[in-house]
Amino acid sequence: MSAVFALVIFPGGVFILLAGMLYEWVDRKLVARFQNRVGPRWFQPLADTVKLLAKEEVVPDGVNAQLFVVLPVIALAGALTAVLYVPVFGLAPSFSFSGDLIVTIYLLSLLTLCMGLAGANTLNRFSLLGATRTLTQLFSYEAPFLLALLGPAILAGSWRISTIADYAAGHWLILTQPIGFAVALIGLMGKLELPPFDAPEAETEIVAGALTEYSGRGLALFHLGKGVELVVGLTLVAAFYLGGVTNPLWFVVKTLALLVGLAGVQTLLTRLRIDQTVGLWWRYGALLVLVQFLALILWEGVIA
Amino acid sequence: MQVPIMPAKGEKFIIPIGPQHPALKEPGHFEFSVDGEVVTGASLRLGYVHRGIEKGTEGRNWVQTLYLLERICGICSHVHATAYCLGVERLAGVEAPPRAQAIRSLVAELERIHSHMLWLGVAAHEAGFDMLFMHSWRDREIVMNLLEGLTGNRVNYSANVLGGVKCDIDARQTDAILAGLEHLEDRTRHYLNVVTSDVMFLRRTRGIGVMTKDVAEKLGVVGPTARASGVARDVRLNAPYAAYDRYPVELITATAGDLEARFIVRVQELFETYRVIRAILADLPEGGLTVRMPRRIKEGETISRVEAPRGELFYFIKSNGSDTAERVKVRTPTLPNMASVLTLAVGHQLADMPMILAGIDPCFSCNDRMIVVRDPAGRGAHWTWDDLREYGIEYYR
Repeated sequence: MSAVFALVIFPGGVFILLAGMLYEWVDRKLVARFQNRVGPRWFQPLADTVKLLAKEEVVPDGVNAQLFVVLPVIALAGALTAVLYVPVFGLAPSFSFSGDLIVTIYLLSLLTLCMGLAGANTLNRFSLLGATRTLTQLFSYEAPFLLALLGPAILAGSWRISTIADYAAGHWLILTQPIGFAVALIGLMGKLELPPFDAPEAETEIVAGALTEYSGRGLALFHLGKGVELVVGLTLVAAFYLGGVTNPLWFVVKTLALLVGLAGVQTLLTRLRIDQTVGLWWRYGALLVLVQFLALILWEGVIA
Repeated sequence: MQVPIMPAKGEKFIIPIGPQHPALKEPGHFEFSVDGEVVTGASLRLGYVHRGIEKGTEGRNWVQTLYLLERICGICSHVHATAYCLGVERLAGVEAPPRAQAIRSLVAELERIHSHMLWLGVAAHEAGFDMLFMHSWRDREIVMNLLEGLTGNRVNYSANVLGGVKCDIDARQTDAILAGLEHLEDRTRHYLNVVTSDVMFLRRTRGIGVMTKDVAEKLGVVGPTARASGVARDVRLNAPYAAYDRYPVELITATAGDLEARFIVRVQELFETYRVIRAILADLPEGGLTVRMPRRIKEGETISRVEAPRGELFYFIKSNGSDTAERVKVRTPTLPNMASVLTLAVGHQLADMPMILAGIDPCFSCNDRMIVVRDPAGRGAHWTWDDLREYGIEYYR
């Protein structure tokens, strides 16, 4: 019974969907205020979702219809499953096993993969180009992002998220691994295709990128998935690097503080071209995090 | 179900931009053939918002035509009216009083501020830098309000009438403009700082879309786009009109010819504009606002050139002695500049296309015209209004 509750009501299911929309609203509102705009009202993401769900889903000519319908579902399911393994709202993860960190990271990548496939599935030229860019971007941030989350895992000596979170609760790892923290946070932005990493959906070039042909239900599910992933990603970064999220208050404070930082970066920076994104990640992001990784391994294996 | 048509070997993958596309504020159709992300070819089709204005002038008298022509462009409406008024006044052999000429220049410069600010925002948006977009458009409101206070309208000010201007300027308006300029100058300094020092923004502008002086001369590029490539050309200087001989402007040029240079030239032109406006306000000639214009303009033809915010605006006006123009031909600055987009596009990334296009500050509906190369219906060189209308209905059917 408690498993069903965890899946459907809390922390999975309804709670995380609403939390995702709330965080999406905070992000949109902050960016809007930074840009001197009014921004959306608090229920705007919910209203958007309800409206999209009520609309007809147009399946364009030339696509594999089953794939077209099922991809958004898989994407959202992946993000929702990831929720069960992270300490959302400052509570212990609902499910936990050794190595769940790797599973969670790959569940989070499922959304991006589904978006890439969804774009490649259509005949739309903007979608095809968007899909190419989405997947190119995936290959550039994924490895550094993974390494950045493995840093705390090495120190904690475990690949189980709850163990790492317990270890990190006593240590502010942002102080000892600032590179890892920055790479994890920026990697999260790349994952969510937030500016300045929004080349895959750059509206002035390729309209809506991979999701150009999506309308109605499919689009709503992809958006919900992104909202959920935003919460999960922020939770992971806060739990690993910001002294842990051991109670609901700390969870809210720390994740929102991260979100303010994300909104600031989104406002201040110009969109990167896709070649610049790849260059940035492989030339600086990956190298820096590797250097830190080596230092960590040496510290753990030789000195400590 | 449609079967995906795979391109044969050597066939190009074409990305269409337009006629409806988020990067375009007005309809135009670009086809960029790409190899991965790199553009290998570009073609352009214009004419989606052809409105038949030149033809429309033939059915209106001289005064009505003024208000029609002012609606060619929603951003630089005043320069169109100025070009037309100067031309018609020359044909009629009258000259507007010095105070009217000064006010014409004043409104034209205020309009230049609002046009350049609008462009700054749009160009930044194309690069994905919405912060600059929102802030420059907020500051643009100041000059919009000043224009409204001066003429009663935010756009299509109708400041000109044949033989002068309709609005005078008093001490209160002068103070408001000076106070507004103070703030705008401060903000412009900030924008200049942003476009020349923001590292991320420079990655999208520096060295992108480089047009050498030779290419610019060859393509006949005009306005700030040409001046960014080192072409020293400005109608306000080369052939002063209105009150520009009394309040001379200084030429702003750059040599780099890339997108960054186009940003710098336009933003620095704003400072020059502020200076000219202050000079006009400090030394506004006294006197009347209008002179009497004849209802019929004597036979003759003339050309009239003014410097629009986007470059040289050219008018040809022909009168047959009646109360109606026989021919008014307009060439807006976008038309010569458009060729540069297609030339510059090849070899750049697809992501740079919106920026290169925005770099010339295009205004599609202003330059759209109908050119019949070969008429399928076999009509002659002269089309009546009904012919045009029928053609239009058939075309979009």
